[in-house]
Amino acid sequence: MKNLFLLLSPRALGLKNSVLSAASDIRKKAVIIGATALAFWAVLFVLSARMLVYFQSVEVIGDLLAHHLLSMVLLTFFALLVFSNILTALSNLYLSADLELCHSSPSRLEEVFLSRCVFTIIDSSWMAAVFGLPVMIAYAWVYRPGPGFYIALAQTGLALAFIASAIGILITMIMVNIFPAHRTRDILMLLTMFIVIAVYILLRFLRPERLVDPDAFFTAMQYMSALKSTDSAYIPTHWATEILWGKLSETGNGSRLFETALLWSTAAAMAVINLWAAGRIYLKGFSKSQEAKGRRAGSFILDAFIKLARKPLGGDLASIVEKDIRIFFRDNTQWSQLLLLGALVVVYVYNFSVLPLEKSPIRLEFLQNVLAFLNMGLAGFVLSAVSVRFVYPSISVEGGAFWILKSSPLTMGRLIWGKYILAVIPMLILGEMLIILTNYFLHVSLFMMILSSVTMFFAVFGLIAMGIGFGAVYPRFKYENISQVSTGFGGLVYMISSILFMAAIILLEAGPVRILFTANMRGVKVTALQGLWIILAFLSIFLLIWFTVHRSIKMGMKALEEYERF
Amino acid sequence: MDIIRLENLTKLYKGLRAVDNLNISVREGVIFGFLGPNGAGKTTTIKMMAGILRPTQGRIFINGMDLEKEPSRVKGCSGFIPDRPFLYEKLTGMEFLRFLSGLYGLDDSGSTNNRLIELLEIFDLFNWRNELIESYSHGMKQRLVMCGALVHDPKVLIVDEPMVGLDPRGARLVKDIFRGQAEKGRTIFMSTHSLETAQEVCHEIAIIQEGRVIAQGTVDELREDAGVDGNLENAFLKLTEGKGIRHEKPLSSS
Repeated sequence: MKNLFLLLSPRALGLKNSVLSAASDIRKKAVIIGATALAFWAVLFVLSARMLVYFQSVEVIGDLLAHHLLSMVLLTFFALLVFSNILTALSNLYLSADLELCHSSPSRLEEVFLSRCVFTIIDSSWMAAVFGLPVMIAYAWVYRPGPGFYIALAQTGLALAFIASAIGILITMIMVNIFPAHRTRDILMLLTMFIVIAVYILLRFLRPERLVDPDAFFTAMQYMSALKSTDSAYIPTHWATEILWGKLSETGNGSRLFETALLWSTAAAMAVINLWAAGRIYLKGFSKSQEAKGRRAGSFILDAFIKLARKPLGGDLASIVEKDIRIFFRDNTQWSQLLLLGALVVVYVYNFSVLPLEKSPIRLEFLQNVLAFLNMGLAGFVLSAVSVRFVYPSISVEGGAFWILKSSPLTMGRLIWGKYILAVIPMLILGEMLIILTNYFLHVSLFMMILSSVTMFFAVFGLIAMGIGFGAVYPRFKYENISQVSTGFGGLVYMISSILFMAAIILLEAGPVRILFTANMRGVKVTALQGLWIILAFLSIFLLIWFTVHRSIKMGMKALEEYERF
Repeated sequence: MDIIRLENLTKLYKGLRAVDNLNISVREGVIFGFLGPNGAGKTTTIKMMAGILRPTQGRIFINGMDLEKEPSRVKGCSGFIPDRPFLYEKLTGMEFLRFLSGLYGLDDSGSTNNRLIELLEIFDLFNWRNELIESYSHGMKQRLVMCGALVHDPKVLIVDEPMVGLDPRGARLVKDIFRGQAEKGRTIFMSTHSLETAQEVCHEIAIIQEGRVIAQGTVDELREDAGVDGNLENAFLKLTEGKGIRHEKPLSSS
């Protein structure tokens, strides 16, 4: 095992070097990200603590609820850990670029395997530790246990992480031996998306906010009781729950040695099973994952769709659009996010359909129209969030192949316009769909319906132009996954700019809308001065959108023409 | 007629003079070899000729047109083959060639399709035409890039290290294609580290060092300049006994 630490050292050295050599702006970014994480951590702690305090105030069943909640939290984190381990084990054990070097070195197979297991445990568990800790500290803050709780927390957390990793790694090894590694990742990416969407929609439809509503408490209690049945005595999280609850509650009998022994013996047994399995199937699977990806492409529906999209364009623009559509639908990391987008739209529209407007003390007609007006801003924000993921990276998606476009007769202006046309049509459909459906559920007046649909229609042109423009100014042609592109500095700049753009439109429109709406309600005519204000305001909005489109496209064009980092 | 003319071509990179006042003329129908040690400025020159880097100074004329003034027309009559074949991995070989034919303004007609099929057959990729590029080997990708560069039958081919990643059969194929193109009156401007390739196929060679041409002529003329007998390697080593890239700003003493 003398090479094990040597195999672990590149990661540690890489981390050390990147921290030491980080430029000041990277350090600043790290501070901002750290502060955001801390704020999130604090919010999670406060929410958990408030919920536990609330549970404690409920006589008889309060502690039962807290106990069940602990069990649910541990089970959820454990399930997420197993899944996260499957994904990270795929990368660490089969797909990492440095594996060829490791396997061709004189290191033993067990050493390589164990070093990769360590990376997998660290990569997949740190997030659960970070997000789980505030919840656990909230328990400690509410129940005031002795120091033994913290020791129990550390050891159970560690044991659960080991078991989850061992299960994840074992599943990965078996899957890679059935499917090639590249295919497995595609399947898992898709599976992840489905799980995220399912959980998201389920949470939204279950409306967990009702748990803190005393009127709905009886239902919530039933719900919690029903969940109790998932907590089987044979699963590791049950043992962990019992160990921790024993320390938290005064009624905890003894040090829960039996559960502790169960937990650690399971971890040890899983480690042995994994080592045994690795000896038999790891190298075989690795060898399989190195085989070329032979995959035929072809889809009648996609071809027909592309034919339709090409028709009005023709020439080089049609070629760009065809290429982008094909790449988008063949890249699982890209199109699968459409499912997430679909879920987002469903939840967004659903929220409007369940608004208890009739319970509001404010006049219904007024409230409906105010909400519809504010909804324009909200829909604009949703569109910005969608475009930062799909439109902003549309230049970067060229990746290393950007030289092909740059050395071709295609001008950068034509390229930008091609990308713009491709993005603007679906975003117009999405924007109008959000606005019309939500307005429909709000039962707004015809005037508000027309105003918000027309505003959104024109605003989309500005939003998309900014997405393409900023994407061209801050291109990132070297990436492992296209979703990384929008998380950079340029993505942040685009997000802020698009929010300001929407805010400016809303502010400019607010005055005229108030005048028109009040005049309509009171049945009076608009004065000449008010009329002038309305005309000037709408003219300003038109100029703002025109200026945004013009400047963004021009800025992007110039940036691409001057781009030289080949 | 000079189909390629580089006039006082210069490229500065943050104080580094990568290409220094380069003047080269290449006649039509010639295979022109562009040799030099690592960091001499070959790839930078080639990227400027392909229109993906902008010169700091100087001008590039291809087929009588100024690249700065008429970039689209110049690029329309030239083809570029880079040393590293970054392609659209999620397209098939055939889709990639169709995409390029669209970019270069070729129509969707049967004749274009026939040309693409002919090129795929020449480069031994026909059976792989409907496979995603991500499943191609490095050599196959390199051959596909070459196919792509010939789609619009360019008058000038600008090639950076054409033999990288090719097996002996592929290398032989490429040499034959270059010769065939030259016989058809096409011009090939090619940078290479392979002196054997240069000696075998190039009609004329320029050796560049520190961003400047230090020798130019046929293989025999270069040998004569260097005052050595034997192959091109001896002449090359003799001629390039120089320093590395010169700094625009003097290096500070430590």
